[in-house]
Amino acid sequence: MGLASYLVFFACVVLVLCILTMGLNLQWGFTGLFNAGVAGFYAIGGYTHAILTAAPSPQLMGNYGLPWLVGIIAAMLVTAVAALVVGLITIRLRGDYLAIATFGIGIMIQLVSLNLESWTGGSQGITRIPKPLSTWFEGSLAYNLFYLVFMVVVVVLVYWALERILSSPWGRVLRAIREDEMAASSLGKSPLSYRLQSFVLGSTLMGLAGALYVTFIGFVSPFDFLPILTFQVWAMLIVGGSGNNRGAMLGALVVWSIWAASGVAVSKWVPPSHAAQGAAIQVILIGLTLVLMLLFKPRGLLGERAVVSRHLVY
Amino acid sequence: MIVQAIVDGIFTGAIVSLGAIGLSLTLQIMRFANFAHAEFMTIGAYLALAAVGLMGPGAPSLGLSFGWQLLVAACLAASLAGVLSWGLDLVVFRPLRRSGAAPLVLVFAAFGAALVLRHVLVLIWGHDSYFYTRELQLGVMIVPGVRVLPDQVFILALAIFLVTLLHLYLTHHRTGIAMRAMAESPSLSQVCGIEVDRVMKTTWIISGFMAAMAGVFSGLTPQLHPELGSNMLLSIFAAAIFGGVGSLPGAVLGGLLVGIAENLFLLVADPGYKPAMPFLLLLGVLWLRPQGILGEKTS
Amino acid sequence: MQLLTFVTRMGLSRHLLGLLLALAATPAAWAQSTPCPVKVGGILPLTGSMAPITKKIAQAAELAIEHVNQGGGVKGCPVQFILRDDQGQPTVGVDAAKYLVDVERVQAFTGTISSGVTGPIISAVTAPSKVVQISCCSSASAFTDGRSAGYFFRTLPTSKTQAYATASEVSRRGMKRLAVIYVNTDFGTDMLRFYRGAHKKLGGEILTEVAYNDNQPSYRAEVTRALASKPEALLLIGFPKDAVTIIREWLSQGGPRKVALNNSMRTMDFVNGVGAQFVEDFFGMDNAQEPGPHVDAFNDAFQKKWNTDSKGPGVHTQYDAVMVMALAMNIAKDLSGPSIREAVRRVHTPGGTPVGTGPAEFKKAIELIRAGKPIKYFGATGPIEFDANGDVSGPALVWKITGGQIVTDRTIGLTDMQALARLVEE
Repeated sequence: MGLASYLVFFACVVLVLCILTMGLNLQWGFTGLFNAGVAGFYAIGGYTHAILTAAPSPQLMGNYGLPWLVGIIAAMLVTAVAALVVGLITIRLRGDYLAIATFGIGIMIQLVSLNLESWTGGSQGITRIPKPLSTWFEGSLAYNLFYLVFMVVVVVLVYWALERILSSPWGRVLRAIREDEMAASSLGKSPLSYRLQSFVLGSTLMGLAGALYVTFIGFVSPFDFLPILTFQVWAMLIVGGSGNNRGAMLGALVVWSIWAASGVAVSKWVPPSHAAQGAAIQVILIGLTLVLMLLFKPRGLLGERAVVSRHLVY
Repeated sequence: MIVQAIVDGIFTGAIVSLGAIGLSLTLQIMRFANFAHAEFMTIGAYLALAAVGLMGPGAPSLGLSFGWQLLVAACLAASLAGVLSWGLDLVVFRPLRRSGAAPLVLVFAAFGAALVLRHVLVLIWGHDSYFYTRELQLGVMIVPGVRVLPDQVFILALAIFLVTLLHLYLTHHRTGIAMRAMAESPSLSQVCGIEVDRVMKTTWIISGFMAAMAGVFSGLTPQLHPELGSNMLLSIFAAAIFGGVGSLPGAVLGGLLVGIAENLFLLVADPGYKPAMPFLLLLGVLWLRPQGILGEKTS
Repeated sequence: MQLLTFVTRMGLSRHLLGLLLALAATPAAWAQSTPCPVKVGGILPLTGSMAPITKKIAQAAELAIEHVNQGGGVKGCPVQFILRDDQGQPTVGVDAAKYLVDVERVQAFTGTISSGVTGPIISAVTAPSKVVQISCCSSASAFTDGRSAGYFFRTLPTSKTQAYATASEVSRRGMKRLAVIYVNTDFGTDMLRFYRGAHKKLGGEILTEVAYNDNQPSYRAEVTRALASKPEALLLIGFPKDAVTIIREWLSQGGPRKVALNNSMRTMDFVNGVGAQFVEDFFGMDNAQEPGPHVDAFNDAFQKKWNTDSKGPGVHTQYDAVMVMALAMNIAKDLSGPSIREAVRRVHTPGGTPVGTGPAEFKKAIELIRAGKPIKYFGATGPIEFDANGDVSGPALVWKITGGQIVTDRTIGLTDMQALARLVEE
């Protein structure tokens, strides 16, 4: 059935976005780090995987055609290292400066992917990225179903792992630092070191999401990593409820659904000649939804389970 | 070549400065990064366009590409933009502040508001190109190897004029002084009986006004388009932080330096990386001297 | 009964999974009779940085649909056009394509412009779902290298044609020492790549190449850099909005008034944007709309319906993309992907009866198709003939600006273009 086929595809994309949002949730919801460069880490994961696994091409230096699993692991490792470097540079910055700095870094990473043509293919991108186990399935619906099941497994694993980490002693220290840094450091915990670890771990998840997305679509280009993506992921976290991994996943589903559904609505109700204005209205409605959400339901749909005081000392 | 780049940088920098002033003020007094600030540049530009549409840009005079009508249009547009800026605070930011939202939530709301504002402009004017005037200026060679446009000189002079006015306001007018006090310490200021609301209102209006002026005149050389403001967002942030948040001379200095740095950067680097330039600058500043050049060191 | 117990014991979710897998394994039972209306999709960047040029392109598509319906539709059914915005963002575009194909069940679709969006659509939707996609405007040469399994076509010649033709004209005008300013996207880099080889082969020298990112407030630095090497002429590859800014800078800084442009600048927006008095004798290339009744008919029809001229990037190629789709769907024995794919090339059969643009010609075409006779479509861009990769090659034309008007200077016919290509590539 056509609708089922579309929904399977849609669900795969949402699951990738879930991982992205959970990574951000770790950084913002649990550590209070405003990472506005989400798209950058997503890009590093995606491109690393692509460069390692794509079929060789005469114009590109990379494209080693390595096995899929190698690509995934490498994507996570490289993103972790990049996050470490970025973290070391920016972790001392206060809130909104961190936002601006990471925003700029996200943009720089995108520019590098655009200009480093011999590796990334520049604006033409990298293509022929292999899908794992693609020969086992006949037809695209069957494969997408497999990928859906696979993604569900991955997301469940990530969720479970995060929940374990967060309820562990490490996680408790993290929350302590977020609530009252001075108290935590007076107990001998180094806030900077914990923040850095959280930043790296969260970014690694973003890199993983990037590799998984690129695998699913089979193509990557710099246009996949524009700032609007960062905005979308942030919207998902805020709408769903930061500080809550289930909220993060719900937010991913809700926001992406709104984005897709509003596109469908515009195409149905607005005649093609006015489609551009219809599209502008679509963006306005999305922006308004978010602002209204912030005004009236700032904790998101599934606000954080109150564990300690909810005053975010700044 | 270098001299030309520096001269160009000063002129671009003048516009960046005007934009940075408002941002610096809100950053210091309101203590949040207002991502919607740049949209007021665009709003100002389009409002002036509407005014010019009614009055006409005026015949070029004094070697400039426009007449006094554009100035009047700019003032009208900027005033309206200032009021709109305050309106945005009333509708979005103030309720959020009142409900105790974290500053970073305000930042995100600003981002959302910016998106809405920009697309309302798209809805009204679309993506077509608009101009204030069809005149094209040819550069005048003032020194061998350096060309300058009369329009640029005017913009620089205007920027200096506006900044001077603002400085006088901040040092001599009651509300201006109150603004500076609030910038230094909000809690102490309240204790001293300063009406916080009035100061905030004035801050927003001045921010919006300055941004709109910057927008009108940056729309002069190229054309108007809805991304006019948001394309300058990064440069303005860099300028405000570079110069030292909350410092008026800092914003001006920051703007000029950012302008010059961007132009010099292009002499050596691949223009493909041009948008990254303000950020490299910003990162450097944040790493080496986070309070900016003229800012005060805060813990 | 036993099956039910078995299923419930195994768990509900696995049951569901099994059901879905069973559906996947069922051969698609396409309706034997054509469901009316026949749906055709479109994906374009209606918002985003490409938006200024997309408006007219969307209008061209709509005009084509109107002509198709007035001429009899597809297999006797009216055609419904569903247009989606990709917002310039790949994820949005892919989702829209998937929705169009799976839920709306479009039989074919047109789109899009940015290669960053067309690429993933081909990879994730077009090829796997086996649906024909015809793009008016996506010029990245890599797409027709076989990865689309033959389902992707474009009515826009790759930038090779333009690049070689430009080089030829530049050489003819004796502009040897050239500076190039180009937009840093797939379109710009592609065209420059082809141009470099051609320019050098024809005896010229490129002194400096400066890339620019679109949507910047100022291009002073780029222009300064280009002028630093003291070129005698400029080649500008990009899009009108920023091109206006760049040229104004160029002129302000005293740059030489010998300027070559690409096809996007062939619009009054550009001429008026810079100022007619300043662009005298600027010239550029375009894929030829061979003068002739069919091209004129299109231009007139466009002007009449939308009250604006039809000049601009992508307008003619979009009209042709839709017309080709509609013709192919009529030629195809049924509306399945593989049949339409096979039929696309038969839109232009050697020795076929020429059919042109407009509703009357379309009606004529349908009658010929019903009678089993081959047709030869001459569209808004001229004859449409797809090569083995799904590309069109075509003649080129040189246009120039004289007295504030855009006029065609000369045409370089197909054989001449092929000769030129041989000269450059040998």
